[in-house]
Amino acid sequence: MSGRSERAGRRIGCAAIVAAAGVGLGLSVHHDVQFTGSVTTAKFIAGANAQERQAECVFEAIRLKVPEGATVYVNDPPGQPADHLVEWSTPWAVPEDDIADAQYRLTLVPPHGQRLLPFPLTRAAPDPAKGQCEGLTLEVRRL
Amino acid sequence: MRAVVVLAAGLALPGVLPALAAAGWSAMVVYLAPVIGTVMAAVAAEIELGLGGSLVPDYLAVAATVNIAVIAWWVTARRGARPRNAQAPRTRGAWAWSVLAVAVVAGCLAVPLSALRGALLTGDVSFWTTHALMIYGGHHELLTSLQNPAYVVSNPDYPPLVPAASALAFKFYGLGNLHLGVDMTVLVTACALGVVAMGIVAVSDVAAAGSGARWPARVVAVAAAGVIGVVGFAVSGVYAVGGYTDLVWAAFAVGAVIWGLVLPRSPRALAVAWICAAAASLTKNEGLTTALIIIAAIALRYRPFSLPGPMARRWAERAVLVLLPALPGLAWAGMMRLIGVHDAFFTTGSPETRLTRAGATVLGMARYLHVAPLALAVLLAGCWFLRADRQRAGLANPVWLWICCLGSLAVISGTYVFGDLEIHGWLLHSVNRTTIFAQVVLYTEIAVWMVIAAEGAFSRAPARADREPPPASEHLPEVLDGPRQPLPQ
Repeated sequence: MSGRSERAGRRIGCAAIVAAAGVGLGLSVHHDVQFTGSVTTAKFIAGANAQERQAECVFEAIRLKVPEGATVYVNDPPGQPADHLVEWSTPWAVPEDDIADAQYRLTLVPPHGQRLLPFPLTRAAPDPAKGQCEGLTLEVRRL
Repeated sequence: MRAVVVLAAGLALPGVLPALAAAGWSAMVVYLAPVIGTVMAAVAAEIELGLGGSLVPDYLAVAATVNIAVIAWWVTARRGARPRNAQAPRTRGAWAWSVLAVAVVAGCLAVPLSALRGALLTGDVSFWTTHALMIYGGHHELLTSLQNPAYVVSNPDYPPLVPAASALAFKFYGLGNLHLGVDMTVLVTACALGVVAMGIVAVSDVAAAGSGARWPARVVAVAAAGVIGVVGFAVSGVYAVGGYTDLVWAAFAVGAVIWGLVLPRSPRALAVAWICAAAASLTKNEGLTTALIIIAAIALRYRPFSLPGPMARRWAERAVLVLLPALPGLAWAGMMRLIGVHDAFFTTGSPETRLTRAGATVLGMARYLHVAPLALAVLLAGCWFLRADRQRAGLANPVWLWICCLGSLAVISGTYVFGDLEIHGWLLHSVNRTTIFAQVVLYTEIAVWMVIAAEGAFSRAPARADREPPPASEHLPEVLDGPRQPLPQ
């Protein structure tokens, strides 16, 4: 094979690799642009912000309704673990695995007739001092 | 947004000098400095747990110690002679391209980062915020919370890098905006992907040095660098912007692979690879196991079996090359065992047979590895057409990258097969995240071959470049002090 045809073959090979790689990377970028578009719509952002506001409301409600350093037991509705309540108590209160060791029992209550998970959202104004968080109610009971 | 910029600067500031020491006068410092600052925060969290105190004083102590050590090293190095095998200074052209690459990568990352406000705090990810709050609370809070059985569902043994960065944000801005934790996670992810992208630009640097390639090849390299950042977010979807840390460790691990197992051997590449590997090991348990594989591979590449000298000494050197970067990650894992904290994966009996679990695991992973056939095809074509170009540039054999990819998948598969959680539910909720490293590293492999091919297509070098001897010995780092000879890359 002559040097010229060898060089031409090599350039074609290089071009094929660049093209194949470019298509693969390009498709991935296209996928990301589509995904980014889907999560930057006004509706999606409004929903995400509402969920975040609700979480921060419960976070604040725990701090308003439970004394600092108190031991708490998180009451799970059947089949619906309220792990987030344990996590949001940190580091204000001390979650306990056994209700006998706890001073307070925390329960997240959904609106009547609704399931706890996924967390229901209503248009009610949040009031963390009363434990009212846009559909979720934080009940605190001294044991 | 202003808070994120302030926090980015706060993380970057203590990392600037170490980043300059590791990467030299490179534009990559923009991405590397915050990464080093984040690793310092993680080490401070380890000190908070292991020795006491609280995060901010421990962070300041770590930052001061590292910066004093770097200044002392610089003063000592300036007094001594220039190392015999120090790298040649970068050309002005290469520097200009790297500055352009930093801007392009930042611009490309802005696309997925625009999804940040859509991220959710209330999903499965809220335990990371909890870990941050534990670190925020100080030594006693951290220790008692990690040992509290009520937190067993919150993965208490997970390493502290991301929560430590979030806790720093909370220390600075208070607990009024919990979303700052998610913001910090995405910020660290972006910096890690920036380090990966600059590795691709560095591939172009070394390939161009041998081939005399023209500017179109450089444009391809800068574009590939910009694209790889977006690809990281693309394969991770909502998990990249929702506060999950799977892309964080994956990006760090890919950074360690490209700097330690793709680019030519040099002290600077080794330093950057070690920083990335340490960061991956401090981010998540899968990050630790993958980082250990990468670190071991780097040790074997820098101290190959073909290296002459006393066998005991060579093994001692390899052990040092493994232990140094692995120490921060292993220290956290060791402390977790010492205080009796374990993960929940191996605690109950599995209802399925190992064979059933293995089959489900292979099928589950295959669904997220569509890129593998393309990467394999590009690898074969690249080895056919460009093997000599790759050798001439001093780039590593691609087998190193594939060993790390397959090794990581093997360890994660082993966890699924020998773990005890119900396999189908477990895979459903996690396999899309545990395969992120494999996907990103294979896309990086594709981008590397693309850059080499572009250099080959536009080069002025003769076609049969393999007639020239590969200058591998030029890239031997000064840590290699044995008799100098060309080594297999």
